[in-house]
Order: sequence, then C-alpha cells, then structure tokens
Amino acid sequence: MSPLINIISTNIPEIKNKSLDEYCKNASLSDLLSEAEKLEQYRKEEPNLYNRVRTLFFLYAIHRFYIPFRFNIGTEGIIPYVAYEHMLNRRFEEAIDLFLKIQEKKGANEGISSGLADAYHKLAFQTLADQVKISVRSTAGNKWMFRVGHPSDQPLKVLPELLNKDPETGLYPLLHESTPVRMDLSHSGWSDIFFLGMDYPEGAKVMNISIDLCIRNKAIESIPKPPIETWFRIIEEPVLKLTSIDLATTNSISHLSEIFDFAKDYLGLLKAAIIASGIVPPGMEGAGLPLSHLLENMVGKGKGIEIVSKVNNIPKGSRLAVSTNLLASLISLCMRATGQTEKLTGSLNEEERRLVAAKAILGEWLGGSGGGWQDSGGVWPGIKLIKGVEASAEDPEFGISKGRLLPNHTILRNDLVSIESRQKLQDSLVIVHGGMAQDVGPILEMVTEKYLLRSKKEWEARQNAIDYFDEVVHKLKDGDIKGIGAFTNKNFDGPIQEIIPWATNLYTETLISLIKEEFKENFWGFWMMGGMSGGGMGFIFDPSVKSIAQDRLQVLMSETKRKFEHSIPFAMEPVVYDFRINENGTFANLNTGKLSLMPESYYSLLLPGLLKKDIQLLGDCQRNELGLIGQTYKSNQHYTQFISNLFDQMIPISEEDNKQQKPLNKLLSELGFNSEQHESIRRDLKSGRIGLSKNRLPISSSIQDVSKSEISDEAALNDQILTEIGLEALKNKELAIVSLAGGTGSRWTKGAGIVKSLYPYAKMGGKHRNFIETHIAKTKKTDSDCKTDLQHIFTTSYLTHPAIASFLGPKGYDGKVYISPGKVIGLRLIPTERDLRFLWEDMPQQLLNEQSQKVKESLHSALIGWAKTTGEGDNYTDNLPSQCVHPVGHWYEIPNLFLNGTLKNLIHDNPNLKHLLVHNIDTLGANAVPKILGYHIQQQKTMTVEVITRKLDDRGGGLAKINGQIRLIEGLALPDEKVEFNLSYYNTNTFWINIDKLLSVFGLSRQDLDNEQKVISCVYKMASRMPTYVIIKDVKKRWGKGQEDVFPVTQFEKLWGDMTAIPELSCTYINVNRRRGQQLKEVSQLDGWSRDGSKDYIEDICLWE
Amino acid sequence: MQVKKALITLAGVDHRKLSVQTLVNREGKRNTVLEILIGEARQAGIEEIGVVIHPGDLQAYSDIVQADPHIHFIQQDKPLGYGYAILCGAPFIGNDYFLHLVGDHLYVNKSSVPCAKHLVDIAMQNNCSVSAVTPTRENLIPHYGTIGGKRIASTSDLYLIDKVIEKPTPTLAEQKLIVPGLRAGNYLCFFGLHILSPVVLKILAQNLNKANGGKIGLSDALNELASKEQYLALEINDWRFDTGTRYGLLKAQLALALSGDDRDQVMSELLEFFVMKNMNSIGK
Repeated sequence: MSPLINIISTNIPEIKNKSLDEYCKNASLSDLLSEAEKLEQYRKEEPNLYNRVRTLFFLYAIHRFYIPFRFNIGTEGIIPYVAYEHMLNRRFEEAIDLFLKIQEKKGANEGISSGLADAYHKLAFQTLADQVKISVRSTAGNKWMFRVGHPSDQPLKVLPELLNKDPETGLYPLLHESTPVRMDLSHSGWSDIFFLGMDYPEGAKVMNISIDLCIRNKAIESIPKPPIETWFRIIEEPVLKLTSIDLATTNSISHLSEIFDFAKDYLGLLKAAIIASGIVPPGMEGAGLPLSHLLENMVGKGKGIEIVSKVNNIPKGSRLAVSTNLLASLISLCMRATGQTEKLTGSLNEEERRLVAAKAILGEWLGGSGGGWQDSGGVWPGIKLIKGVEASAEDPEFGISKGRLLPNHTILRNDLVSIESRQKLQDSLVIVHGGMAQDVGPILEMVTEKYLLRSKKEWEARQNAIDYFDEVVHKLKDGDIKGIGAFTNKNFDGPIQEIIPWATNLYTETLISLIKEEFKENFWGFWMMGGMSGGGMGFIFDPSVKSIAQDRLQVLMSETKRKFEHSIPFAMEPVVYDFRINENGTFANLNTGKLSLMPESYYSLLLPGLLKKDIQLLGDCQRNELGLIGQTYKSNQHYTQFISNLFDQMIPISEEDNKQQKPLNKLLSELGFNSEQHESIRRDLKSGRIGLSKNRLPISSSIQDVSKSEISDEAALNDQILTEIGLEALKNKELAIVSLAGGTGSRWTKGAGIVKSLYPYAKMGGKHRNFIETHIAKTKKTDSDCKTDLQHIFTTSYLTHPAIASFLGPKGYDGKVYISPGKVIGLRLIPTERDLRFLWEDMPQQLLNEQSQKVKESLHSALIGWAKTTGEGDNYTDNLPSQCVHPVGHWYEIPNLFLNGTLKNLIHDNPNLKHLLVHNIDTLGANAVPKILGYHIQQQKTMTVEVITRKLDDRGGGLAKINGQIRLIEGLALPDEKVEFNLSYYNTNTFWINIDKLLSVFGLSRQDLDNEQKVISCVYKMASRMPTYVIIKDVKKRWGKGQEDVFPVTQFEKLWGDMTAIPELSCTYINVNRRRGQQLKEVSQLDGWSRDGSKDYIEDICLWE
Repeated sequence: MQVKKALITLAGVDHRKLSVQTLVNREGKRNTVLEILIGEARQAGIEEIGVVIHPGDLQAYSDIVQADPHIHFIQQDKPLGYGYAILCGAPFIGNDYFLHLVGDHLYVNKSSVPCAKHLVDIAMQNNCSVSAVTPTRENLIPHYGTIGGKRIASTSDLYLIDKVIEKPTPTLAEQKLIVPGLRAGNYLCFFGLHILSPVVLKILAQNLNKANGGKIGLSDALNELASKEQYLALEINDWRFDTGTRYGLLKAQLALALSGDDRDQVMSELLEFFVMKNMNSIGK
C-alpha cells in the first residue's frame, strides 16, 4: 500500500498523525510523482470527506514545497489559459486534469506544480466549506427554512403579546435582548475552526467566558454592561425596518429580494439574522415578491416589524466575537418574537442556546463570513468549557467527519469555579484593543492546512497547547490567576508562535516588553485573544497594580501606535476596557407602556429625518412615541444627552483624524500638484478617451513569446569570468543600489495606506525586520563579502518620505544611505461605471464560493451605485488627504534621481559610480551578485533586465516580442488576458542600469545634472513618450469604531518597464532563479515563503548588525 | 377493554356557534354539526355521550337532541382551557377509556369504516390510548397538536408516541417531532379524535393544580401520558374539516355532498354555476 495513503486511511493514531514531511524528505522525484498519482486516484474514490481533504492537502504540499524545490525540474512550463480560466471559475477538478495531462506529457516543472498546488489547495478548502454548508443546512431546526419558498407557506407568526398596543401610551410593546460577548481564556490554538473540530474533535476545546464590557475612562456608560443590545417591535407600515445604531444606518425594506442583498448597506448582519431566524426563510430567496404578503401573514395587514441593533462602543476587531454574538442576539430576539423559544423573556434553555448557535453559523454562512464554533459563546452564561464532540449516528456529520459541527458546552457553575476565583480573575485581567487593523482570514487557512497536514512542529505545538488548556482550567478552579498568566504567556511564546509565527508582530512585542520593564514581577502574563495579536489582547497583573496598569497601558499603546502607525496598519486609537463576567448569557425583557422606548441614540439618529416631515404625515404610533420621548428626556437619566446628541447628529463636527492632517488643497499646493494636467486627464477619463480598456495595445499588435535562446540564463553563464568582472566593479564602487520605496502597499494592506517598506514583515536574524532593513542588510553582506562600500538609495514619494526619512535618521543609516524624495503626485478620482464594469465584468475574476460570490456581486453593484451618485471621474476627496493622493508609478522614481539632485550627490560622493541596481521594495532576493553585475558590464547595454519563469500567480505582464521587438509589457497593456499565458517570462522589475547611457537616452550627461532646467525639460520630454495607465486601486476609508470601507479609486501611473520599448535604450534580458526574483505582494504569501526555503535564502544573503 | 363512552367538547367560544349549524349529510338529511358528531360516535359503538357545554347553552342543545337519555350535558363552569373542558367530564367518564371528539371538527371517511370506529377498534386491539393523526405539512403544524414517535414494526399506520407538543413551530418540530418514514417537512398532527385512558384525567387534575388558576391544555397532559403508559397514534387518511376556519364549514359540506347520495346533483349544479359565471363574464 502507498505509505501516504496508509497515513491518511488508518485509524491508528500513531500512524494517522504522522507528518507528510517524514516521508517526503527522503523520497526521490519519481517516488513523489508516483505517490501523487496514487493519491490523486485515492481521493477520487474515497468516500470519507476528511480523508479526501487530507489527501488534497498532501497533494498541495507535494507540489508546493517538495517537487519544485528539492529537485532540478524544468522551470519553463507554460500554464494554459484555459486551466487558469478553470481556476477562476472554481472548476478545480478540470484544472487539475489539465495540469496533470501536461505534466504527463512534458514532465514535472515549476509552472505546472504551482498550478497543481493552487488547485489542490483551493479544492481542499472548497470541499471543507461545502461540508460546513451541508452540516449547517441539515441541522435540525434549520432544515425547514430551506423548504419554505412562498410567503403563504410561512408557518411562523409573531406572538400576540407583541401585537397589542398599550392603551395608555398607544405604543407597541418592545422586546429587548441584551447579550454579552465572549473571551477565550485558554486560547485554543485555533482549534475552534469548524474544520478542525470536525477533523480532530478530541483536540478542540476552549474555555469561553461571557463578559460585559465598557471602554475605560469614558464618562458615559462606565459600568460594564452587556455590550450588545437588540430590539424588536411591531410598526404600522408593511415593511421590515432595520436600524444599526452604531453603524448609523437605517433602511425600510419592502421587497424580499432586498433582504438577500447583504452588501447593499451596513445592515447585512441584521438581514442574515432575519433569514437565519426564519422570519424570511432562506428558501424564499429569489421569490421576487413584495414583503407585505409575508408580513400580513405574520403580524397582520398593514403592519410591519422593526429590528434595531446596537453595539455599545465596542470597536471592530476586538477579538471578542462581537459580530457573531450580535448575530446570535438578533436571532434569539427574532426566535422569541415568533414563538420559537419556550419563553418570550429571560434566559434561554440549553436546547435553545444550541439552536441559536446553529442559526448563527447559518447566518454567517449566508453573509459570506465565518467565525469559530465558540464565537456565539456570549449566548451562554458565565464560564463554560466548549469541547468538540465525535459525530454519532443521529448527527448529519456521521460517517463524513469524525467530529460534529456543533460542540458541547459545559457551564462551570460556582461549585467548580468559586465566586472568589471569578472575582480574582476580574481583579487581575486587563483587556484592551491595541487598535491594529487585522485580517485573520489567511491565518485561519494556514492553521487548517498545517493541522490537516500534521506538520511535525506544528502538531507537537498543538499537543502542548492542549496540555496548557488543561492547566489553565485547573488554575482557574484553584483561583490561581498568576498561574493562568504564566500559562497564557507560555502558550503565546511557545505553541501559538510555533504554529503561526505571524500571530505576533512588532507592535505587540514592543508593548509586552514595555509592560514587563515597567511592571516587572507584578506583570503576570500576556494573553492573545482570537486569531492574532495587535487587536484584542489581555494583560494579567497583580491586582494591586491593575488600575495603574490600565492607565499605563492606554498611554503605552497610544505612544507605541504613534511610533509604528506609518509602518503597521491601525484601524483605530487603542482602548482599554473594563469588564465583568456575565452570568446570564443572552437575556430578554418585554418593555411596555412608558418603558417601550428605544435607546436615546436611536432617536438621535432617526429624529432628524422625522423632524423634516410634516407631523400630520406621521402615523399614530410615531406621534405617540415623539410625545413620549419629549416627556422622557427631561426626567430619565438615560435620555439627558438627547438634545445635545441630536444637534451633533444634525450638524456633524469634523472627525478627529481629519484634524491631524493638512487639508487636501493645502497639501496639493505644497507638493506642486499640476492641476492643469490633472484636469486634462480627468476630462479624458470622463469622456472615455482614456480608461481601463484603453490601456491596451491595439489588437493588431503581434505579441509572441520570447524563446530560451533569445535571452541569457543566469545558471548557464560563465561563473568565473563574469564574477571577476563584477567583483572588480564592486571593489571599485562602480555600483549603487536603488530600492523603490514610494509605494504604500495597497495589495499588502488592502488599501490601508501605510509605508510598505517599513512594514516589519518577519523575524529575521532574531528580530522583526522591515523591507528597508532587509535591503540594507543585503548591502552590508555584499560590502563584507566583496570588500566594498556600496551606496544605497531609497526612493520615496510624498506618502512615504517623512516616515522613511524619520526611520533612517538624519545621518541616513550609517551615513551611506540616500533618500531620493518623490516630486510628482496625483489626485485620485472616483472611477467611472465603465471602468468598474470592465474590471469586474470583462476582466477575468476569481469566482468565490456561492454565498461569498453573492455578497461580492452585491457589493460591486453598491460600489457602482456609489460611483454614479458621487460623480464618475470627479476628484476623490472624501477621505483623509493622504488617502486621496497617490504616487504616480515607479517610472518617475528613476528620473527623480536626476531631478532632485540625488544622482548628483551620489556622483559627488563617489565619482567612480557607473551603474545602478534598481529593484522593487518587495523583491527581497535582489542583491548585488558579482556574476550578474559582470554580465551587465560585459553586455555594454544601457539596461539589463532580470526576468523569471512564470508560475500561476505571476500575473501582470512579462517579457514578449512585440512587433518583432523584445521588451517588457505590462499586463494592463495586453490586448487580451490570454496572451499573458503564452509568455514564459515574468518581469521581476529588477534592472541593472548604466548611468551614462541612461542619461544619454534622456538627452543628458553627468555635467547636465547641474542644469536644473535642462534636466526638467529632458525628463518631461521622456515622460511624454511613456504610456499612462489608468489603474483602479482599493483605498480604505476608516470611520466609526474601527470600521473600514474599501473603495475602488482611479489613479494614473507610468511604469519603468515601458522604457524597454524605447528604441534608443539598449537592453539585455537575463533569466534569474526564482528566489532572487520572487516578490512579496501579499501578507498571505508569508507563510509559504517561510516554509519553502525562501526565507532562509534571504537570511543567507543578509548581514544583520 | 371496552370503549362505551364519548366526550364531545363544545364550550369554546367558536364551538358554541358552530355545533348548531346545519349541514346536509351524505344521505341527504339535514343535521346539525353536533348530530353528525353524535352519529360518528354511535357508529363506533359508543353508548353514552357526554357533551361539555358553555353554561347557559343547555336549552339550545336540548332542542337538538330532544331528551336522549344517553346524552349527558356537562356545563363547563370556568374558561380554564381545553384541558379543563375535558376535566369537566371526569365524573361522567369515571375510570373508563373514552372516545374524545373535538366539537369544531367534522370527519368524512374515505373507506367504508367510519373514522371513530376505526380508532376504537385499534384501541381495543392494543389495549391502550390511541389518537388519530394525519400527516401535515410543516407550514400548517403551528395550528395543531403534533406528535413525535416511531412507527411500530410490521404496521403501516401505527406509531408509538413519545412526545406531544401543542402547535409547535417547525424549528421545534424538526428537533423533537421527526417521525422516521414520513416525507420531509411532514409531521403527524392530531386529527381531533382520541381514545384516552382515564389516567389522562388524573394528569389534567394535577396540571390544573400546578396552573394556579391559569388555563391548561390537553397536549401537555397527553405528552405526560406518553411517558407513563403505552400511547399510540393511528395514521388516518380520511378527511377532517376544521369548521372554525375560514370556509371550513363550506368545505365540510362540499365534502359530504360530493361523497354522498346527492353527488351527481351537486356536481351538475356546481358546474352549471361555473358555466353561467363564465358566460356572463364573456358576455360583458
């Protein structure tokens, strides 16, 4: 039997939990290919879901980490476009078949392995997600909702208690639900991910505590209370009126289809709750009917339902599962109102809580999001252990996965954890939100993959984390909070980071070290909450210093945030919470008569709209309510801020963040923004003369691939001669290195607008390092190895200059680093509908899974609506000024060296300087290798361009023969996406440039660098020959409490690769190894980069201080 | 075991009006709803019938049954729910099994055996309480008492009841009332006919005590009965009409007419009505 199939299919734990690496590290290429073939066959026939998924992960890992790196396989594999298209359309099986046929015909190669790895990886997650979908839908209590397709079939009715108005006030009763959030004291080693609980239920266990919360030091609401509140009542209009008070959004829905349009507004969560609770059952999606029929059945003719939610100042990303518990609260509220619970008010019973949790999972799936299985823990009271359970014959998962979707909850009552122990925990623990913006999605995927692969290190770490869990439970029972601190700290330093090194970051580690330094033995331990650190976190102190520690944490977090805010994305100002354990879980009461008023903030939000209406046009209920609020605000302490808040709502004051930045107009004028040119571009965009589709070369262009013989190959070069030439030039200081650092890493942080070059992306040489430090360390290594002293230049833009200058210090990092400040700036525009539709409808797009795709399409239609109503082609100004301007592409970063005097200074300081090595900030492997420098010198061309062979992810153009001329071509300029897949080589954007020859191409010489006017004129002349690309980028807008919206904006760029099309600029091209040319574009690449040996490669070419 | 007594509940607000409504039975005779129910019971071999009525209604019913010594009117003194109405019949029932018919339901058998008779036969064969049930789509179950249980091996229509819930939501039904063998989304709901053991009266009396002056239902007592002794459900595929619903009485009348002696006459008159209606509209 195949040894790998044996590992997957056995029931013997010692064999089942073996890692793939154990086999692969000693296997030959033919062994691996043969095993892969057997696994491929096995996965197609194996009925057990988890065996299939594990096989898919094995196949992924073989093609991602072993075949391409351990054997000298071909690099020149062309990926057929049709396979890529299959991938985009989620037809993974077809893509795999195609890749395998090519592999069979041409042998293993890097390109095809990259395609196979990606397809197996995506298919594995798709299979898991499909199973969760099946499990969620087949949970008893959820199934019927998928069968109800017509409003006449709606079996639910709103309870009579809610249908009758109070005779005195004329108001309907108000059902109010308050729900705590949850914290996971043990940190479960991410074992609450659904897939993991289903794969290995015995390892899935957490200690989950329901808590009340408030933000410390806020004068209002300073006593912890359930942070989630939701309300339900009848209204006299046949609509579903939904309001999210904290997101300041309200909408009256009159058509069924709007309920299923999740991304249209900020009410997606409320809509998901309405569907998951059965008020509008999911089976009604697509029924295409008005809501009035359904509402008439449920509440009576002419009446509707109003649902309101409020999260009391708890910011997004708190790692306290606020959104899942809000969803659960809304579901519980709606279930109570429609008689799906035993009691209308009070706490829920265990069966009801489980049902609410199952429906919350359904709601999250509907909304295209997902949490862990412990996230709805706030529904339960107090402290509870939540553990994975093996599926039995009654469960829908039986025979499919080992574990059940829903775990078991055991509430630890006072006899197990005494009141005293509970108090002790509250007296020692400080909960904070560090303010970092976080994307835990990639981390959850990494954990799933590593656990299912049973990677040795991670699997052992997981077992340790499980042992720590038992210890934490014992310590809590004993009331030993100091002991808990020691374990949570040990867990963070050990298993958590061994499993996912990216769970920590420089911000968190700086904070911990500051706290340790200040509080010494009174600091008992750090505790990471949720998927990663930097947002919600816990610090455990000796109770005697807790209060001081809370104050100091606020100060230290704010100071540390200020230190890192240009390099690490923050969503908000850090906050410290006060909390207490909530012993009720979710709880409801029915307010009638004078008590049936919504909270004050509801009226502050909605009254401005009502006041604009004629009082006669308001319904009886609304008039009665206004009358009552008019009386109440004078006497009820909860409503005393009403008038002042109402004014704030009607006449908003500018946000704090805006005050910290210069106004946009001032900023543009200071930076010499060319408004005339901008207006001309804007007119062209509006009229359709330029646009995304106009970036492309004419369809008649002849675009051919470049053959192996037409370019050089680094591996085939004569080592000795070229190395000697290169070494000589290095010793003679003929080379300087230019790192392009003008960008803000829009892909890296998804539009957060930080300085990517300063992002501390990984621990190298024992410390977190940013890109600039890494590039400097490489130069140091070259200096040391080649006995030289190279000049290193970082080019900047307006957006990156102050932070980089501050980081490098006044002396420029040892005095030999130069900064070349950017001189050109652009102003972003609101995109045109034409361009958005071209991007989303005409360009190939990755299809997401069913629900996520629906949400994405709904979002796209909302964003097109936004562009149309805001003004297509208008200036984008509704954001922080720094998010409205943009650098105009890296083409300008080289001529800027001439314009801003940097090249003059370099030559002044080192007259021997002849060549530049220019590379992107994220091309970590690009260094001054003597051999390639020797090649560049020997070729005597103006520019040597480094390319790599293409893998599946390498999108964005490449090397091509266009109308007979070999040159780089941007993906944006290709007349057809398919063409790119015929190009073997991908542009690394690393260039070796002969300075004098380049100056000559610009019509300049070294002497002309003193002549500012001539330089300007020559640069602009060349700029006018360069194509300008219209690009859509994502930009984040932050608002509210840690909320972030991502908007597409139009900007314009010129790119350096297009210089290869200038006839008088002679070029030569060299294929380099992948590790040298690999770029780090997304945070999610880091784990694979670390595991496939690329990180070690970079460590080897660096010399850390 | 013998079933010789029946209890009909008529004291509810709607029942009071409905039971005196007149319908034409299968044989073409005019009968009140109450007379039809009494007929159903008699066909099942019932000798003594107790009718639980609202105080003050005695005269109206006496006119209908014309001093039948086997019909005993029992006045329900307080509006304490359906369970209490049954409990009012306790002195009449004594320690016997009894047939219970709901006063606002009419039964039309498809086969030659009347519904109540079928039920009595089954109860006597099995020597236990039996309720008639019918498969009902989930969107209708919030109107009925619904049972959960398992089909008894080697039978096609008998179930051992382990749970009874009054008017459940589908959410609850899916968790607790799934009966293996039924089509998805279908549950077994009460048909309005029961053969009940006298134990149920003891349970009702206890529930009344616990209710502290509040109303009591029958389903809770039946749920408890299922935990105390064998309690079966008989799946009946005959017609049951809730005369209290909109057009319920009309539907019951149509069913009786279309399955009775005057079928052809009623059909042709209905047809004539439709044709005339359509011709009038064409003429316009």
